[in-house]
Amino acid sequence: MTSTSSARASRRSRMSGYAVLLLALSLVGTLYTAFGAPASQAQDASPSNQSMAVKEGRELYLTGCSTCHGLNLEGGAGGPSLIGVGGASVVFQVESGRMPLSAGVQQAPRKTPKYSIAEIDQLAAYIQANGGGPEVPEGDLADGDLQLGGALFRTNCASCHNFAGSGGALTYGKYAPELSQASARVIYSAMQSGPESMPRYGDNQLLPEEKKAITRYITYLNEEAPNPGGAGLGRYGPISEGLVAWVVGITAMVALTLWIGARA
Amino acid sequence: MTENTGGQPPSPPTGQTSAEAAGSIRDRLASRPSDEADSGGDSRVSDVNENAFQQTYSAPADEGQRDAGPAVDTSGALAEPHELSEADARSAERKVSALFLLSLVGVIGFVATYVFGEPQFGEPGNAAFTPLLGVFMALALFGIGAGAVLWAKLLMNDEEAVQERHPFGSDPKERAATADALKQGFGQTNLARRPLLIGSLALGGGALAILPIPFLFGLGRFQNKEVTLATTGWAEGVRLIRQNGTPVRLGDLVIGAVESVYPDVEHGTKRADSPALLIRMRPEELLLEGQPAEWAYQGHVVYSSVCTHLGCPVKLYEQQTHHLFCPCHQSTFAADEGAVPIFGPAARPLPQLAISVDEDGYFVAEGDFEEPIGPSYWERG
Repeated sequence: MTSTSSARASRRSRMSGYAVLLLALSLVGTLYTAFGAPASQAQDASPSNQSMAVKEGRELYLTGCSTCHGLNLEGGAGGPSLIGVGGASVVFQVESGRMPLSAGVQQAPRKTPKYSIAEIDQLAAYIQANGGGPEVPEGDLADGDLQLGGALFRTNCASCHNFAGSGGALTYGKYAPELSQASARVIYSAMQSGPESMPRYGDNQLLPEEKKAITRYITYLNEEAPNPGGAGLGRYGPISEGLVAWVVGITAMVALTLWIGARA
Repeated sequence: MTENTGGQPPSPPTGQTSAEAAGSIRDRLASRPSDEADSGGDSRVSDVNENAFQQTYSAPADEGQRDAGPAVDTSGALAEPHELSEADARSAERKVSALFLLSLVGVIGFVATYVFGEPQFGEPGNAAFTPLLGVFMALALFGIGAGAVLWAKLLMNDEEAVQERHPFGSDPKERAATADALKQGFGQTNLARRPLLIGSLALGGGALAILPIPFLFGLGRFQNKEVTLATTGWAEGVRLIRQNGTPVRLGDLVIGAVESVYPDVEHGTKRADSPALLIRMRPEELLLEGQPAEWAYQGHVVYSSVCTHLGCPVKLYEQQTHHLFCPCHQSTFAADEGAVPIFGPAARPLPQLAISVDEDGYFVAEGDFEEPIGPSYWERG
């Protein structure tokens, strides 16, 4: 080894030191963005971020909702007052696309939501800050006992929503909606807030773990419940099954009979 | 089938000539009346039948032109063999036999599955047990059925026979004999000579027709009237419990909530006459007057949830309109006005249960329903 080569080697080692430093810095930066971001979001609950959400929510409200519900939530042309309805109502109505309402109908139908989850949270924070009411549920809402949920669902929900969540008719054109598209948050919020015709289920009547069990049962129905016969047919039971058996079965029998009776 | 199916009707009855031309089936049928004549010994009856059969069966018009193809049946009947070549017929025979043997496989598989399979009745076993039974049974039944159909369509001789109905009436001689027997029987009763007998029989027998009329009004007229149908499990001081047995406390329900409640007595949640619905609304929304208003408690009101139309469970509550809705026939009750029916076939309000709160803060009934719950019945009127 000569002296020049040793100098080059030392220079290379210095350069590689910079490179390692650069690498380490960018790695830390990436790690921070990957894992640090949730930490910063978790701080949203701090008073200042909460008031930011309320402010943002008020902006959204004034733009999209105040025409019907009034500039100060007092209600008005076609819309009820929103004071005291709580964030859970906002989650149910907006996340399921029922609000904003597109036309004057007997009952708001489910649509594609107009707002993102973040915007819905801001709206909910604004409504919650004005009069309180049922709060937006948090955590894993479908983390409940499936069997208990089934029993509670059949006792409390099935009379309107059908034992398999297929929905059903109410009076004067109103209806209990089917539950197949409802997210866990929407289901839980509906029980909390009692939207439209639906009764409200307070936390003394159905404990939070019981509500989670019901939510778990509905998500099970929507995502996991098997259809041993191949098709659920709306899970309406013998009505739709009988119809299919008659239409398909009798047609097949008639065709078979015709074929047997046909000459060779 | 060949030419003789080409729209030509069987030739009209031609009497003796037709009978001579007939094939084996005709022979068989024609021979039956003479057999009967031998055993019965009544030549007249036999003649009638002979004529009927001769009119009924006739040979196909074009019998003489029968195909000279490969005869499957050589008995000389009306039969018309298929126009299958011998090779095709053999192939068809193999198909049919294969189907019959498939049925055998199905039976063996079914029995083997039943004997050696591990059934799965709620416990870990072979999940394929039941489906396999079904598949093998289907194979067995399908093999026999499909084989028989193919056999009939491909290999059996086609034959068209018209069987007309024989005359319906009994022959005059039998009728006369029956009339004679009846007349003779009536004579033996001596009714014609005993007018008192006729009169008393008419009165007694006629009165018997009145006997069933009281049954129209039900046999329970004098029993259980006050006990079974008019009372339920509710009584003074009985707590309102949920399906799972926990009592309902004042404050458990928020405004706009409902709860299915049952009496806290033995088998209370199983009794068909006792289910009720506890509803909470704002006290000012409750439009009850007089005694029903006293039966409510701070905006809580309880109605029987057995529909007064046909007894379906009325538990569909709309918290904004306070409508109670019966899913069976769409009867609608106004829960804020004493559950009076406002739509549908129900004619009576749902009975209201008087409630109050005991010293521990739990809801209790103040007594049974004031009127019978559920649909109308005879004694209720």
